[in-house]
Amino acid sequence: MNTIFLKLTGTNHILGHKLRFPDFPNISEILEVPVLIIGGGIAGLTAGYTLNKRGGKDFFLVELDAETGGNAKSGENKYSKYPLGAHYLPLPNASNVELIDFLFDVGVVIGRDDNGNPIFDEEQLSFAPQERLFIKNYWQEGIVPQYGSSDADQQELTRFLHKMEEFKALKDQNGHYIFNIPMCYSSPEKFDLGLDQITMEEWLRKEGYTSSYLHEYLNYCCRDDYGTGIKYTAAFAVIHYFAARKHDFKKYEDAVLTWQEGNGRLAKLLAESFENQILKQHMVYKITVNESNVEVLLFDAQRKVSKKIIAEKVINCCPQYVNKYLLPQRVKNFQLLQYAPWIVATVVLHKFPFADGANLAWENIIFGAKGLGYVYAQHQSLGQFKSPFVISYYHSLDGTDLNEQRRKLYNQTDEQWKEFIIKDLSIAHFGIEDEIISIEIFRHGHGMVSPIPGYLSSEYRKQLTLPIANKIFFAHSDLSGISIFEEAFYQGREAVYDMLDNWEA
Amino acid sequence: MDKKKNLPIFLLISVFIIATCGLIYELVAGALASYLLGDSVKQFSFIIGTYLFAMGVGSFFAKFIVKNLLDRFIDIELLIGIIGGTSSVILFLLFQQVEHFQLILYLFVFLTGCLSGMEIPLLMNILKDRVNFRDLVSNVFTFDYIGALIASVLFPILLIPKLGVMGTSLFFGIINVTVGIFLSFYLSKQLKNPIILKIKSLVCFIILIGLFFYSNELLKYSENQLYSTNVIYKHSTPYQRIVLTEAKGEYQLFLNNNLQFNTKDEYRYHETLVHPAMSIAKSPKKVLVLGGGDGLAVREILKYSSVEKVVLVDLDEGMTKLFQTNELLRKHNANALNNARVEVINMDAFLWVKEAKDKFDVMIIDFPDPSNYSLGKLYTNNFYKSLYPLMEPQCIVSVQTTSPYFAPKSYWCIYETIASVFPNNLAYHTYVPSFGEWGFNLFSPDMRVNFNRVNQRVPNLKYYNYNLQKMTDFPADMKAVDVEINRLDNQILVRYFDEEWSKI
Ligand SMILES: Cc1cc2nc3c(=O)[nH]c(=O)nc-3n(C[C@H](O)[C@H](O)[C@H](O)COP(=O)(O)OP(=O)(O)OC[C@H]3O[C@@H](n4cnc5c(N)ncnc54)[C@H](O)[C@@H]3O)c2cc1C
Repeated sequence: MNTIFLKLTGTNHILGHKLRFPDFPNISEILEVPVLIIGGGIAGLTAGYTLNKRGGKDFFLVELDAETGGNAKSGENKYSKYPLGAHYLPLPNASNVELIDFLFDVGVVIGRDDNGNPIFDEEQLSFAPQERLFIKNYWQEGIVPQYGSSDADQQELTRFLHKMEEFKALKDQNGHYIFNIPMCYSSPEKFDLGLDQITMEEWLRKEGYTSSYLHEYLNYCCRDDYGTGIKYTAAFAVIHYFAARKHDFKKYEDAVLTWQEGNGRLAKLLAESFENQILKQHMVYKITVNESNVEVLLFDAQRKVSKKIIAEKVINCCPQYVNKYLLPQRVKNFQLLQYAPWIVATVVLHKFPFADGANLAWENIIFGAKGLGYVYAQHQSLGQFKSPFVISYYHSLDGTDLNEQRRKLYNQTDEQWKEFIIKDLSIAHFGIEDEIISIEIFRHGHGMVSPIPGYLSSEYRKQLTLPIANKIFFAHSDLSGISIFEEAFYQGREAVYDMLDNWEA
Repeated sequence: MDKKKNLPIFLLISVFIIATCGLIYELVAGALASYLLGDSVKQFSFIIGTYLFAMGVGSFFAKFIVKNLLDRFIDIELLIGIIGGTSSVILFLLFQQVEHFQLILYLFVFLTGCLSGMEIPLLMNILKDRVNFRDLVSNVFTFDYIGALIASVLFPILLIPKLGVMGTSLFFGIINVTVGIFLSFYLSKQLKNPIILKIKSLVCFIILIGLFFYSNELLKYSENQLYSTNVIYKHSTPYQRIVLTEAKGEYQLFLNNNLQFNTKDEYRYHETLVHPAMSIAKSPKKVLVLGGGDGLAVREILKYSSVEKVVLVDLDEGMTKLFQTNELLRKHNANALNNARVEVINMDAFLWVKEAKDKFDVMIIDFPDPSNYSLGKLYTNNFYKSLYPLMEPQCIVSVQTTSPYFAPKSYWCIYETIASVFPNNLAYHTYVPSFGEWGFNLFSPDMRVNFNRVNQRVPNLKYYNYNLQKMTDFPADMKAVDVEINRLDNQILVRYFDEEWSKI
């Protein structure tokens, strides 16, 4: 028998749980700073990056975990770096100038062509072959299911994709796209079509889409982006996935930006310029707004002491399921705010058992599997592929009751997860168990926010984004409701501008 | 114990074993056919059909056996054991030799099927007077089908992984014969010719046991057949399988079963790869070789006295070590890899290029053909761009770029890809008997470099005569238009290459 080395890790949920039952030591240290950024995910790091670039205001960033990155964290072993969450950034829309400028600053965009379009560094674009799908015992190229499907299925798929093209081009009278990224750039009338009020499944039924191929494919896309499937996710969000990316830079076709460590690279690039202003393993547990400042209480998990930071302004980049403990007076509506739990398992293996069809790609998806397939981290290496292979297996636990799923996430033992993962991968790779060296199972108690019907268009969401007393500014992808790098980036940047624009002389 | 009474039980156990073995031979033939001939669905389906049909034929002929039924039964048992058991060995060995391999394959399948088909009717005849007919029929078939089930489950899960195809068929041959031995001793009294049967069965047993223990050697022998010459060296490194063969005093090197060179004509290839670049450069001092761990290109480079340093970067230490130490191979590369001017680096070329700080006057790039996405990266515009920082201003680079005859799209794709980075480039080709028409590319970052101007020559070349222009003419059947540029994010070259070489 092959012994497989197992490791169970994840976001620091033990520390996180302390928020629910606060019992922290007395304050032993007081610091003062003009601006405090709370949370070192993409939104928080972008806030730091922007503030640092603008200059003029001193700041700290505090992060609960031992490393920054949040849902874009990454890991590294002897053979490769690998993502522990977000793993790619699609090419930005041409209208997303701020993001393109940032990519230029950090060397992802290396110049502009004669038309002024950005030239992306080829080594940071996903290498070919990009994607393959295991379907009917065969690896086909690309992820839109084709192999072995009937004409009726193909017709429906075509009709659907055609419809998405229409949505992609759709604008209001003022020329604003209905679907755009970041969401704030899109038409204020975007919810008038009623797409946010129904689930994607309901929309499909209404529009007469019945192909099980199409449903399974969309369910995959939906879970991959939002954690929850088409049964639970708003139609608006799923259509947004297809219609909001404009593919403005034609020569790159469907390429995306990616790195061996996934978006961990972007997190690192953002943090680079202010590394020494970041306090890690510092968990904020209470925020109080005073007349002239904000008092923030934190627990230093390393030294096991509590601290107080007095700041003129705070940029709060925590997810809202955390903020309800930090700012108890905030309006609550738990029904609308949902986060699916995830696992990302790093599997190291000697080799892949033989399977028919297309070659190993960057994204490898198994049609009808429980998980969401795997990403081959070393694909982005310039070197020759070689053993051992490091792959990241993704799985979102969706269902009607996400709290139930979260309990399942933490109750399952490493052995049970191992069984689960191997069984799922075996669909496409019979005998893979004998090739596996190790599995690290990284658990995200709360993955990204899941845009269930009603959340995006709700008054509640809008309220959550509003600053408090011109002293606390909010930024997090869950405030957009569409949890992607671009939104987190927009949030972080916007919060800084908002704060600076309203800074009393 | 009452042997008479036990007879039905023993015979039924033999039915069970026979059925298991019979199905195993059928599966072995199917597996072998799909390994050697490809198209597994077709092969399996034909073989199962033939086998079942042959069983019918066997059953039919069983009625003509009327005397000494038990003796014949044991005979058949031994025959199946020896034919079925040796089938895979014989088929493996014959694969390279005979023209009508399929015919022989089906002959074997037919024979084993036929013999298996005889057994059951025969057995029923033996037992019909000793047991109730109703029981007999259902027992015989029950055991027959259970045996079949066990065989078909064990075959893919246990037998093929543990014993291999050859081992499996021999192993079951041995079991078959063992049943024969057992019956011929145990039922000695009821047999007509017990002595002869005992001798026959023991001889069969010894033959099969012998083959079983030599099956590894046999496998090697059959591999020799595959290379049609003597395999004199074989070694698997983490990256590739190196096989060196000999035929009529010439040597051939295979990497992963692809011919790398033949000593008979490799000078044509290596002279054409190296001398154009070396002669155009103005007294080159530093030369970089990427790939080419056999040291044959280095041998040519060292003929130029201006050369002070050669850096050779090859991924596979197993390969460069072999060419540094093996007597025979060292003779062949004139001990180039042990030359004081040569530095050997074992690293991934792309990764090395990204980090290297040196600059070179000439580069010789000799990678394997772009047959997969890993190797395809070494032919991308990005790779050629990465060479730029390592180039002296007038650097000359030559690259092996597959066959413009067999793979014109691939060839011109590489050409266009290079041209997109270094517009001053030149396509040329020559004939290497072992390979056919072979293509190369020359380029320089300096637009003023004229590839037809020879700056220096070395005497005594066997093939290249410094007339490059003669090699730059491409007839229509070596041309291709409308090729895309090979990039990391499209790897179009691997697709062209696959398309073109799979046609051959
Ligand atoms: C498994 C998975 C895969 C994904 N894949 C992609 C992808 O491929 N592409 C993509 O664009 N997006 C992807 N996403 C979405 C991803 O969430 C966003 O792209 C982005 O990383 C979110 O950043 P954020 O700053 O909004 O939130 P978060 O990443 O949630 O950041 C919040 C930060 O605040 C910290 N924090 C929380 N509470 C406290 C406290 N009390 N005190 C101090 N610090 C605190 C957290 O530790 C965390 O670092 C994925 C998400 C998941 C879960």
